[in-house]
Amino acid sequence: MSMLDLHDIQGSILKPYGRYGFPKARFLFFRVDDGERGRGFVRRLVSCITASTPWAADGSSPGTPAPAVTTNVAFTYRGLRALGIPRDSLQSFPDEFAMGMRDRRDILGDDGKSAPEHWDPIWQSEEPVHILIWINGQTLEEVDKRHREIRGWLVGDSQGVQELVGHRGPGGRDDLAYQDGSAIYIDGKPSAKEHFGYTDGISNPFFKGMNSHESNVLGGGKVTGRSPHGRDGWEPLETGEFLLGYKDEAKENPEAPSPELLARNGTYLVYRKLHQNVGSFDRYLNEVGNDFPGGKEALAAKFTGRWRNGAPITTFPTEREADEFGARWLRAKEAIVAAPDSAARLAAKKQFGELNAEFTAFDYKDDLAGGRCPIGSHIRRSNPRGSLELGQKGAFDTPGALSNRRRILRRGVPYGDSSKERVDSGDHGVIFMALNASIRRQFEFVQQQWMIYGNDFRLANDKDPIAGNHADAPGKEPDGRMVIQTGPRDTAPPFICSRIPRFVETRGGDYFFMPSLTALRMIGDGSIDPT
Amino acid sequence: MGNQSGKAYGLTVLCPLRSDAHEKQSFSAAVRARLHALPLDEDSPMARVPNTYLCRLFVLDDVPYQGEPAQSEHLKSKYLVFVCELHGQLETYLQGMWKNAADMINSIWEFCVGFKDDVRDADTFTRYIKKCQVTTTFYFNGSTDEPLAEQLKALYLKQEFSKFVIANQGKSAAEVQRSFAEFVKATEPSNLAGPSWRPGASRLDVA
Repeated sequence: MSMLDLHDIQGSILKPYGRYGFPKARFLFFRVDDGERGRGFVRRLVSCITASTPWAADGSSPGTPAPAVTTNVAFTYRGLRALGIPRDSLQSFPDEFAMGMRDRRDILGDDGKSAPEHWDPIWQSEEPVHILIWINGQTLEEVDKRHREIRGWLVGDSQGVQELVGHRGPGGRDDLAYQDGSAIYIDGKPSAKEHFGYTDGISNPFFKGMNSHESNVLGGGKVTGRSPHGRDGWEPLETGEFLLGYKDEAKENPEAPSPELLARNGTYLVYRKLHQNVGSFDRYLNEVGNDFPGGKEALAAKFTGRWRNGAPITTFPTEREADEFGARWLRAKEAIVAAPDSAARLAAKKQFGELNAEFTAFDYKDDLAGGRCPIGSHIRRSNPRGSLELGQKGAFDTPGALSNRRRILRRGVPYGDSSKERVDSGDHGVIFMALNASIRRQFEFVQQQWMIYGNDFRLANDKDPIAGNHADAPGKEPDGRMVIQTGPRDTAPPFICSRIPRFVETRGGDYFFMPSLTALRMIGDGSIDPT
Repeated sequence: MGNQSGKAYGLTVLCPLRSDAHEKQSFSAAVRARLHALPLDEDSPMARVPNTYLCRLFVLDDVPYQGEPAQSEHLKSKYLVFVCELHGQLETYLQGMWKNAADMINSIWEFCVGFKDDVRDADTFTRYIKKCQVTTTFYFNGSTDEPLAEQLKALYLKQEFSKFVIANQGKSAAEVQRSFAEFVKATEPSNLAGPSWRPGASRLDVA
């Protein structure tokens, strides 16, 4: 039995919906002009909020069947104020949440074309965003139906709660009333790809109390120092890194708002719309890939640390090995469906599970110099898997001392279509969502110190090749740089990528508090009492 | 030997400030105002002083009260604090400081006890500073202990060499050799007086 009250925890926290058969997403934004009407809106919303309780997958596992559509909600600081949260509670929230994303732009590197003046109109408005509701659906029709239902509550109540417009979308529109997201479809089927062609969302943190399969601890937990390929190489992270009200990796309750009931089972959500310059990305790979040993695909893999099929480059150093692994994985997946009886299905599932673990069950102990997975690659920067601590004998209590407090749950989804025209302009990117107990310590740290700076990796001021805010001023040469190391026994020199342009631009976003169901009811009832 | 780490020297100086006032301002406020008016980085008068790795000047009013069970204690006076990381011998450094920044010294130290009466030249300045010196405990030097000009040249060469590597990546050995000869000619690696970073620069020229 899980130690967590899964009925009380919003579903997005434990479930990456995209991986549960919900390829469609929609993000709605509201402003509350009247506290009492706003609370009425929240009260109605409670009944359709999706919790983290397990879904019966195939009749054999416990739980209710998956719904056709999910709904979750979160609030900005101003939103909580507009809904009448008492001042003492408001003042107990951390500063970065109260400030919001726009005021944290210097920390996040939102400059140049990522600066707030270039964000979607909804973030430019004098009328701020208060409530974010996101809907994930198995089909667009179901998403639309839930959206209309919520919208219906506002009819005749134009004074109390406003649905905000101002999202950019296809065809140059910039006045849309919602942000749509969708898995990218390949051959008519939803995929886990993002617009640069990588398989995304592979490795997510695994923490105590999660009800997903315990094999997810491989690569998802924290390193123990033993072999990363086995179960004893990993332990679940403390719950308090991702949910308020529980012990965290510092062995204390995370800083949380008051009263305790408002905080417990809640967390913070970072919503960030990131435009992807697919034209520049393709062009750079083609041009520099010509000179790079191994070619364009190898360069793409060195950028992120994974081949575009998701195979980690530190485990599968050549394209051939990665392709073979991908084919084996696909065959194993198909074997589950093709199994003639339950015994065969069980055996097939076991084999698939072992292969699937190879996507995440690795570290960089045998690759410290970065000869396989470059030290500056995207996945190694964002989750160093204990590699910063190695070779520093006696300096740390635990093998993951420098990274266990910097993990984030990612719940993003792509938006737009880049399949017909691979150009920078247009409407395509990713709705990046990160969940963590401390925006400042987790998301902001990773963004500021690991994405847009390189000192922790001894990479001076080199930035992440993909997510770095490389120079993009008109008439100025792009300045992104990445050293692709070779192994200690290789005779070839390292390869240096230079003049990397900005591949990703911020188009808006904010920081949100995502309460438990209990806290949501209390917000709706106006019964939050910090005294 | 708390003050030294190899050839690097960590200087800590507390010069007591006179307790009366200057033009309706306490001396400590007047010194603060003068410190705030000093130019920074390459324009700092301390950038002209040879072998300054890093230095800091500030006014120390008192020690803060830490609460029970600590006792409430006070310093005997306010102090001008000068902390400086430098290369080489202290005496040589202070001589160079007087020679290159006497105007600044006379202005900033003017209200320190005994300064106007005792300090006239490099020797008396050196004596004065040494009288006010306290031992730097737990001294940690964050860079190498080579002379400043060596370090600036090394940083410059490292940066230029990165550019050279990027510009010549994938070229034939003969081509690389040819452009390396040009690189050496342009950067003059063994000539400290040749192209280098300027003392006091705290960031690269990004223009």
